[in-house]
Amino acid sequence: MTTDAARCFTWNMSSQFDIIVIGGGHAGAEAARVCARGGARVAMITMMRDAIGRMSCNPAIGGLAKGNLVKEIDALGGLMGEAADRAGIQFKVLNRSKGPAVQGPRAQCDKEIYSRAVQDILAAESNITFVESAVQALLFGSSALTGLRLTDGTELRARATIVTTGTFLRALMHSGEVKTAGGRFGEPSAETLSDSLRAAGLELGRLKTGTPPRIERTSVDFSLLTEARGDAEPRAFSILTDRIALPQVLCHVTYTGAFAHELIRANLHRAPMYSGQIRATGPRYCPSIEDKVVRFADKDRHQIFVEPEGLDHPWLYMNGISTSLPADVQDALVHSLPGFAHARIGRYGYAVEYDFVNPQQLDATLQVRGVAGLFLAGQINGTSGYEEAAAQGLMAGINALQYVRGGDPVVLRRDEAYAGVMIDDLVTLGTEEPYRMFTSRAEHRLLLGCDSVYERLTPIAESLGIVDDERRRRAESRVTRMHRAKTLALETSLTPDRATQEWMGAAGFELTAKTSVAKLVQRAEFHVEHFLAVAAPAFPALTSALTALSAEELEGVTSALRYSGYIERQQREASRSAGDEQTRLSAEMSYALPGLSREVVEKLSSVRPSSLGQASRIPGMTPAAIAILRMHLRRKSAETPAEHAPV
Amino acid sequence: MSELDTIVAPATPVGRSALAVVRIDGPLSGQILATLSGSLPEERKAAFTRIRQGGEPIDECVAIFYKAPRSFTGNDLVELMLHGSPVIIERVIVAARQLGARIAEPGEFTERAVLNGKLDLVQAESIADLVDARTSLQAKLSLLNVEGRLSRTCASIRESLLHVISRLEAALDFSEEGYEFITRADARMRLEAALAEIRAVADTYERGRATRAGITAVILGQPNAGKSTLLNTLVGSERAIVTPIPGTTRDIVRETIEIGGLPMTFLDTAGLREHADLVEEIGIRRARDASRSADIVLYLIDATRGADAYDEAEIAALAGRHVVVVQTKRDLAASSGLAISAATGEGMRELIAHLDAIVRERFAVPEASPSIVNERQRAAVAECESGLSAALDSIAGNADEQFIVVDLYRAANALGTLTGAVSRDDVLREIFSKFCIGK
Repeated sequence: MTTDAARCFTWNMSSQFDIIVIGGGHAGAEAARVCARGGARVAMITMMRDAIGRMSCNPAIGGLAKGNLVKEIDALGGLMGEAADRAGIQFKVLNRSKGPAVQGPRAQCDKEIYSRAVQDILAAESNITFVESAVQALLFGSSALTGLRLTDGTELRARATIVTTGTFLRALMHSGEVKTAGGRFGEPSAETLSDSLRAAGLELGRLKTGTPPRIERTSVDFSLLTEARGDAEPRAFSILTDRIALPQVLCHVTYTGAFAHELIRANLHRAPMYSGQIRATGPRYCPSIEDKVVRFADKDRHQIFVEPEGLDHPWLYMNGISTSLPADVQDALVHSLPGFAHARIGRYGYAVEYDFVNPQQLDATLQVRGVAGLFLAGQINGTSGYEEAAAQGLMAGINALQYVRGGDPVVLRRDEAYAGVMIDDLVTLGTEEPYRMFTSRAEHRLLLGCDSVYERLTPIAESLGIVDDERRRRAESRVTRMHRAKTLALETSLTPDRATQEWMGAAGFELTAKTSVAKLVQRAEFHVEHFLAVAAPAFPALTSALTALSAEELEGVTSALRYSGYIERQQREASRSAGDEQTRLSAEMSYALPGLSREVVEKLSSVRPSSLGQASRIPGMTPAAIAILRMHLRRKSAETPAEHAPV
Repeated sequence: MSELDTIVAPATPVGRSALAVVRIDGPLSGQILATLSGSLPEERKAAFTRIRQGGEPIDECVAIFYKAPRSFTGNDLVELMLHGSPVIIERVIVAARQLGARIAEPGEFTERAVLNGKLDLVQAESIADLVDARTSLQAKLSLLNVEGRLSRTCASIRESLLHVISRLEAALDFSEEGYEFITRADARMRLEAALAEIRAVADTYERGRATRAGITAVILGQPNAGKSTLLNTLVGSERAIVTPIPGTTRDIVRETIEIGGLPMTFLDTAGLREHADLVEEIGIRRARDASRSADIVLYLIDATRGADAYDEAEIAALAGRHVVVVQTKRDLAASSGLAISAATGEGMRELIAHLDAIVRERFAVPEASPSIVNERQRAAVAECESGLSAALDSIAGNADEQFIVVDLYRAANALGTLTGAVSRDDVLREIFSKFCIGK
């Protein structure tokens, strides 16, 4: 391993980095990139350099809520959106028919091109040193992490370390009765790092996840499948992307049937989840096909999306039948599907069991509480999904960077970003199953639409010095354009004189009283194209501002105007709770307060919330307990006003 | 870790009585009982014992030891039933304090029960109401809330909101699954049902307030219509001065009796007339003010004189109030409608029956229904009602799920402030338990 590593980096025993990133998956890639952008000297340690940015499971980026995460990453200077745009072979905005806040952009990607794109983006950062090795142990000083030792004995020193090991900690793959150590097909498990994390005082748990069989594309009769098309106009994730370069392809849909369900029921005893071979908890929302058949016995069929793994990739990904049943059952199951009678399985589905760290042991910057300099991000924190991992990697990277530079922690609020919701959920609630982002987890969802992401987040990234000039320029001009169009729509009023009524009537708008264009937009019959077609002579400034917008920006402006009532209401709600969010609780605070029950004190002491708002979200906290905390803080701030200064 | 301290307080009013109860709550309570009585009785069994301090007997009593968490507060709890002498109570409390207990703050036992999850806020408030109850109906209604009827009603409404919210959320988060999670018609039907239920609860506020605070009835009328005589007859004593001289009553005289199961306070007022002296003028102004805030106005008309234009104008000015017109002195002249004679007692039974019916119909809470009794609860229920109406408007306007749920969360959280909040994970749990989310 060291000889491979030596290709890109020659070190001596006193090698010194600012930040080490362990792992080159979606979390690790974002963390390394942002730290390098911020000027830190970064080492990325990976067991296989070729596997950096690999899509281990489904060949797609984005989706509902996940697509918002990708946009947030892009606005903050991350790389996932750029890579997905370069690798995307079918783009689709999900929930297109619904309001903007819950629309989720998604792209099928060519897996090979995707991981190559990630590798290219990282290679362009001269501050990143790639080390191809496994980690033996983390090294602790008296109060902080000081570095780590590789399996060959080499020690690397750094002020901060970000662990993004995904499913690789003491990973065990199950395929039927066969168990193999490993975090991903053909890749080894990380066996000793768990011990180091335990030594740092962390409690580890076990989770599982699964992946479906891959089918050889040439063995499938597509004429028997239903086609699933993408959007006619592919919409890019990244503000840096001018056009989608790759050709766009079709996906397909098929269904399981009575035979498949009977087969699975007859073979349940051979499925590791049911035989007791796996005891770890899997996700409720992405259950294995054996789970589905048992738990939803009344359903006579289950939908399967058949997705190409790439433009020229020989395999199809069977989205919807993740399984750990033995090979012979998988064969029979696949052959029972319409169009798959003669299908050949390229790789059988399997389940992976792995160690994770209950994220309640982290603070809101994803740093391990009590171990300065140790940050965790991605699946190790009990999440699932590329996007969830990447967003954590980015935020852990930003905070490691701030830690090394002596800057303030960066914690996104729940009304500011899905990433903020996710991290707050993780460190406050912990998780007992792989955590996935859903729009319903965000109480201020209407404020978190993709259309406002650059306005919300790019200024934050800019102040941290992690945004490239081109992205900053594009984001600023986009925000300015949208703002100008919105302001003009609010300011432009329509008077019901004969001339105005005439040209508006021609476009199908009835005008009986004076109103603003913004109010007109709220009418059900308003179509912006109809309006633009007739309004130019009367309102040249407004129409030119509107036509200067891209289709995506125009949608953003019209929906911001259309739903302004709801949006303002959520803004008011968010600012109502802002007081509790800004009331800080110190990390050393003693919760031994009169009136607090033992159970509540235990919960507060274990989560150590950073604000009263966070405390109120801890499961099992009573309104009465929060009232007592608030009283205590008020009394204390009256005694020592200096302590109340905001952090 | 906070060490819970041990508190002690008399649970019954201090004064001479046959029995008095002292409560000790907290980790030391068992030990204190064991020290005072020489042994710890079996859990939850009444035990006859002698209480001594330093070898000197204080009293004989019945002691019950409740072990945590099976006690009112959820902590170790001791109840001592002593003889009701202030001296004995004082000595027992001193002894308990010497053994490590401190005097409880007002309401602290109930507060501990809330903090330990033994009671929710509504139940705790209802306990205070139960203790304060002045009539048996009040006591009965408070007891229903202590038993959790209001909490249960709110919980069941919240349950149906959760059902709708989770399915609307599923339609947003799992739109690719190929399900119709809920039809608009079904959502509307469920929300309309919930709105009807919450409105019924909201209606109990006026009633609930009356249950708690009682009802006021102002007696109005021209001088010498018999207002003070009626008050005296109602309360059965010469409470107000009665003379044949018009304008005898200057200030307001109040008396409370029970009618329809609730305390009804009657306000005898100065007679209404145009040319009065300065003092009487002030009395008349007070009478009019009182009539504006009263629940019921009894307007008396002297049957020997009949109603004149002045009476009609006064009654017309009371439009919107609940006015009961009563003719008086029916023994002296022909009368119609509700008519009484305070002198002979004729018609009094009918008048009281009439008031009783009004109270039961308009003010008393139906005995089996939950009621809201304070401003905090009223505000929460009103917020829920407003959220539900707004959500129904959004459905009528064919709005997206994401906009409908904004108001539904508002409604559900308002109910949550009464009993405990809806968590986002409840919503997801409901989705995953009911639907096969597979992709």
